[in-house]
Amino acid sequence: MNQPENVIEIRNLSKVYRDFWGRKKVQALKSLSLDVKKGEIFGLLGPNGSGKTTTMKLLLGLLFPTTGDVSMFGEPASNVEKNEKIGYLPEESYLYRFLNADETLDFYGRLFNISSDERKKRRDALIERVGLQHARKRQLKEYSKGMTRRIGLAQALINDPDLVLLDEPTSGLDPIGTRDMKDMILDLRDQGKTVVMCSHLLADVQDVCDRIAILYGGELKVMGRVDELLKSKEQEQILTSTLSDEALNEVKAVLVKHNAEFISADRPTATLEDLFLKTVQISQAQPGKRFVSADDKAESPLDNEEKPAT
Amino acid sequence: MSFDVVGFDFLEGLTHFLKVFGGVALTALIVSFILALIQYGGRGPGLFFKTLWQALVDFAHTSPRRVWAITELTWKESARKKALFVFVVFAILIMFAGWFLRDSVDRADLQLKIYVKFVLTAISWLTLPVILLLSCWGLPADIKNRSLHTVVTKPIRRHEVVLGRFFGFTLVGTVILLVMGSVGYLWTVGQMPEAAKSELVGRVPVYGDMTYSNRIGDRPDFDDPNNPQNPASAATNVGDVWEFRSYIEGGTKSRTFYDFDNIDVAAAKRAGQFRIEYNFEAFRTHKGDIEKRLLCRITIVNNESGLRVPLETFEVKEFSNRSADKTIILGGTDEEGNPIETVTYREENTNEVKSVNIFDELLKGGDITVEVQCLDPGQFLGMARPDLFIRMPDRPFYITFFKAIFGIWLEMVLIIVLGVTASCFVKGPVATLLTFGMLVIGSGFSELMQSLAIGTSEGGGPFESAYRMFMHLNPSVSIDDGPLKTIMTIVDQAALGFLWTVQYLFPQFEYYNMVPFVANGFDVPWKASLLPSILVTLAFVIPCLILGYFSMQLREMEAK
Repeated sequence: MNQPENVIEIRNLSKVYRDFWGRKKVQALKSLSLDVKKGEIFGLLGPNGSGKTTTMKLLLGLLFPTTGDVSMFGEPASNVEKNEKIGYLPEESYLYRFLNADETLDFYGRLFNISSDERKKRRDALIERVGLQHARKRQLKEYSKGMTRRIGLAQALINDPDLVLLDEPTSGLDPIGTRDMKDMILDLRDQGKTVVMCSHLLADVQDVCDRIAILYGGELKVMGRVDELLKSKEQEQILTSTLSDEALNEVKAVLVKHNAEFISADRPTATLEDLFLKTVQISQAQPGKRFVSADDKAESPLDNEEKPAT
Repeated sequence: MSFDVVGFDFLEGLTHFLKVFGGVALTALIVSFILALIQYGGRGPGLFFKTLWQALVDFAHTSPRRVWAITELTWKESARKKALFVFVVFAILIMFAGWFLRDSVDRADLQLKIYVKFVLTAISWLTLPVILLLSCWGLPADIKNRSLHTVVTKPIRRHEVVLGRFFGFTLVGTVILLVMGSVGYLWTVGQMPEAAKSELVGRVPVYGDMTYSNRIGDRPDFDDPNNPQNPASAATNVGDVWEFRSYIEGGTKSRTFYDFDNIDVAAAKRAGQFRIEYNFEAFRTHKGDIEKRLLCRITIVNNESGLRVPLETFEVKEFSNRSADKTIILGGTDEEGNPIETVTYREENTNEVKSVNIFDELLKGGDITVEVQCLDPGQFLGMARPDLFIRMPDRPFYITFFKAIFGIWLEMVLIIVLGVTASCFVKGPVATLLTFGMLVIGSGFSELMQSLAIGTSEGGGPFESAYRMFMHLNPSVSIDDGPLKTIMTIVDQAALGFLWTVQYLFPQFEYYNMVPFVANGFDVPWKASLLPSILVTLAFVIPCLILGYFSMQLREMEAK
């Protein structure tokens, strides 16, 4: 089987920040080497100051490496032409706040070699995709943080890029926005695009990333496929429909017979994100519907869903 | 009129352009090299030359579409950040200025001067500070807000950002100037009393080169390098504190010669008249007949044919305010409206009365000399180079008015390019101070710097001056020869050599002041004012953009 080609290649990359007099202030990155393959979602993780944002900025040419090489699509990071194939969502959506959504997308579109008609088509499609039709004529300074993230993502996609770099893509978004963002990231992968994201929200990274790298103190500590890194090699998990006590005892007996240690049996819980999204979904469909009873007994919108037991 | 309009020919203009361009370009490259060395140490020079090559590639691939995108962005930014509020201030000024300026003097030409000075000064004082602030704060604000970071991650070359910003601010300033200029023009024309509308013209003066002959008729050779005299002040000094004018003695062979080359005879013929305007000053050494003014004569000499035509004698009405009292017109029309094409004169040697065709004989070839002599013995007649000129057909007032607006525009473009370049290096407040400093030095100190640089000022260079101050020696006292003087001279020469280079880094903003021409009812001359202004602006625009490119290219947008 052919290995997918590398979209990003980083070799022995180091970055030292210096003061005005050239004295070393901090070494943000130490001899980092990694590859990002075509069509995958790659997550850069690490605590504050670990070097993930520095790596992102080195990729984009916003910083120059002290030593080492960065190449994207086989071109050095300093090459401007490579940007034709890249989309970038910065951490804080650093956009021009006096422009409205239409003008913002049109402005960034004009920096690429995109015809006027095509720009208009993509602008309309992206505004619809990020759900800002109602606010497309409002200046960005009137936008909430979530809306700013959405228009930020739209500008990153205006050139239909092959590689999308996302810096904290879900920061500032509400759960619905977060879900939408994650869906869009997965969509991008389905379209064959490569995504590199860095985030503090580990659950989000786990949800969407194929591979991750964890940095600490400017050094690469862990890198690999998410499923492989998280998979337990000591335990097995079996999901079934609800079992009676008798059936459960029989299962335990079978396990003992095969020298397996029974650890626990419980009903799985859904995530808070699932509960929230279901509540919003039902509230939109049935505006009068409430799940709070008079005797304060907990009801859940997920109750009527099928839940497998372990 | 007290300003002396000196035009410079194209060759001189080109030399000046190359000096300024070369000086600024060389400095731009040296500064970039040093910056690269400081920032990247040993890798700096290699990076510098790589960037130099990259610069050529980048400039060759400049995309007008991307530049225009940034230009349009700058326009929207300025408009939405209320920069155009400046119109409101201008409107308020215009609405109420008439109350204070109307009928402030009783002479129409002075009234014009007041209106024109007010309008053009208001336009320039409102526009230039706004543009200075916009151009100095635009890029630093982008870098601070990091909106530029999103832009440079697109396939845009960094010089395109600088170019776009430059064109954007120029567009904003151009619109402001066009609107203000048009409103100002209509306001000026509207304010002028009906009887004085004839003053709304752009007179086109042609100035000659001035030389003198002394009382026995000797005419010094001013081209002789051994002759230290300045032809403009070589005649008699009567002790006037203001040394603007030099004096010729009456009743002697002392004369002033104004030499004119290439007079446009065809234009004068089309206009049907040949006008000479003058403004002489009398200086009396004895009271004489106090009721009688000084008597003068002007002789027109055709240098090709040698034809000499002494005109009628006239009195110098030095205190008259009417321009007609200081004008000699050959040609024109007679009482019945028929054109006059000849002039009658009395030949100097034979005293014979003759007649000559003005345009086909007297002015033929356009190479003429106007000789001025004072006829009253013992009295003196003072004149300077701009005191006599040939007035060619007038230009419409709007042309000369908008030429002055064009002068403000050129100054504005220069401020923008300086501001944008400074803002590529430093933050907004520092860029503002830097640009403002260049404006102040270039407006008021360029002459001082020039006199220091070429060593014409007394007291030596900085070290000799410091020594003199310390030793309480005034500038005219010579310092004894010796090692000390030798050392001081050598060090001063090095410092003055540096100053000589540096003086070209400060644009000479006085070229841009075209208000005096319009205010005095003159057309703005191409050679004396517009050409040097254009050249100075061009000389700064290109090197500054190169400097801005290097700054943007070599800087890390996200450096901590």
